[in-house]
Amino acid sequence: MTTHDCRDRITLLGSYLDGELGAAKLIELDEHVLNCETCCEEVQLLRAMRGSLKRVVRSAAPSGFRDRIGNAMAAERARVDALAAPPAFGPAVPVAPLPTWRTLVPLATAAAIALVWAAATRGNQTATEARASLAGDDLLAELLSEQSEPLPSEAHNAKDVRGFERYVGVPVSPGNFERAGAHLVGGRILSFPMRAQRAAMVHYVFGSGADERHLSVLVYDAEKIPEVGRANLAPRAIGTAEVRVGREKGYSVAATQRAGVGYLIASDMDPEASAELAASVYNDRER
Amino acid sequence: MLSAAPDASKHDPFADEALSHLDAMYGVACKLTRNPTEAEDLVQDAFVKAMRARDQFNTGTNLKAWLFRILTNTFINKYRRGGLERSVLEGPDADPLADGWVSASTMRQLREPETLALMPLVEGEIQRALDALPAEFRLAVVLCDVEEFSYEEIAQIMGCPIGTVMSRLHRGRKLLQRALYNHALALGIVKGEERPGEVAQRPAAQASAAPARLADYRARKRGAA
Repeated sequence: MTTHDCRDRITLLGSYLDGELGAAKLIELDEHVLNCETCCEEVQLLRAMRGSLKRVVRSAAPSGFRDRIGNAMAAERARVDALAAPPAFGPAVPVAPLPTWRTLVPLATAAAIALVWAAATRGNQTATEARASLAGDDLLAELLSEQSEPLPSEAHNAKDVRGFERYVGVPVSPGNFERAGAHLVGGRILSFPMRAQRAAMVHYVFGSGADERHLSVLVYDAEKIPEVGRANLAPRAIGTAEVRVGREKGYSVAATQRAGVGYLIASDMDPEASAELAASVYNDRER
Repeated sequence: MLSAAPDASKHDPFADEALSHLDAMYGVACKLTRNPTEAEDLVQDAFVKAMRARDQFNTGTNLKAWLFRILTNTFINKYRRGGLERSVLEGPDADPLADGWVSASTMRQLREPETLALMPLVEGEIQRALDALPAEFRLAVVLCDVEEFSYEEIAQIMGCPIGTVMSRLHRGRKLLQRALYNHALALGIVKGEERPGEVAQRPAAQASAAPARLADYRARKRGAA
C-alpha cells in the first residue's frame, strides 16, 4: 500500500467517517483503516476536528431571541390568515348575504340572483387566489428585486443562457426576446428551495442612452410552479397568446405560459409593451 | 388552521417544533454571516418565511432540514445581493490537495486522543480557520460535522448534487487542516515536512486568496461533469 493510494482514498475517508459509504466500500475501508497507519491517523484527525468544530460552533441563541422569533412567526401567521380571508367581502360575507338576498328577490329577476351568486362565488375565489398569490409571489418578489438590483450574471451569451435548461428543466430560449429587439445582457439561476425548484433569470436591454429600457425575464417550469401571477395580474389576450399583465413596485409585469414553460417578465416599459413581449414567446422559438 | 386567534398561536405546534431548532439555526447563521446581529436577522427572516410557506411543508418529513434549506436560501438571496460576495455559489478555485499535502501523522500532535478533539492551543484557531473558509465549504462542513445532516439532506439544503456536497466537504476539511497545520507550524508544535518533488510550504493565504476567474471555473466544471 503506497502513500499515493492513500491520497486517492482520502476523499473516501471523509465519507467513511460520516457513515455515508455503501456496505462494500465500508468493509473495504474498515479493513484498510485498521491496517494503514496513515489513514487511521487521518480518520482520527477528522474526528478530532469534528469534535472541536462542535464545541466552537455550538452557540445558544441570545436570551429574548426566542420570544422575538416566536412573535415574528405569530405575526406572520396572523397576516397569512388575514390574507386568506376574503378581503373585499371581509367579515360581511357570512352575515350580510341573507338580508340582501331577501330584499332582492321580490324585485329581481334571475339575473339579480345570478349577480349575488357571482359576487359570493367571487368572494370565495378571492380567498383562494390570495393563497395562490402567496405561493407564487416569491417568484414575483425575486423578479422585481432582480429588475431593480440585478446581480452579476452567471452566463453572458445566448449559448450559456440556453444551457440553463439542464438546471431549470425547461428550455430557456433567449431568441424569443432578441427577435423583439432586445439585447441579451446575461442570466443567472435562481433557486427556490422551498419549492425545490429553480428558475432562470435573464436580463435584456432595449435601446440605449436615455431610451434604454431594462427587461428581466424569469423562465420556470410552469407545471411545477403553476400559480405565478394568478392574483396580482389581470388576464389579457394578445393574438393567440394568453397573458397576464399588471404593475408591481413601479414596474410593469407580465406573465404567460407556453408548452409548459412559464415566463414572468418585469420591465420599465409600459404594461402594454411588457404584455406584447410576453406574447412574443408564442412566436416560433429557436431551438 | 381553523379560526386561529392570534394568542392561540402561542401553542401552534408547527411554531413550537420549528422553535426547537432555534439554537441550531442561530449557530449556523452565525457561521454563515460571521456577525451575530446579521445572524439574528437572517434567522428571523427564515422563520417568518417558514411560517408563510408552512402549507408547503409535508408533515412527517424532516422539518429541521426544511428550515435549514430556507435559512440557506435566504442567506444566498439576501447576502449575495448585498454585494457580500458571491462566494456562496462559487468559491475560490484553490485546490487544497494541489496546495500542499500535509500528512495526517504530521498532525498527530494536534489532537487530544482522550477528548476526541483538537488540543486547546489549536482549537482556538479552528474558529478563525472556519470563518476564513469560503461560505459554501463552511456551510457544508458545519451542516455535516456540527448538525450531523446526511449528505442527502445537505444536498437538499444547499440545492446541489450529493457529489458537490462531498467535494465541498472534502475541500473544506482539507483547507481547515491546512490552516491548523500552518498555525501549529507557527507555534512550533509541528515541524514542517519535507517531501521530495513537492512544495510543502506555501503561504497559507494562497489557499483562500485569488478569487477564481468564474468563466474558467465554470468551463472546467462543465468539462468535468
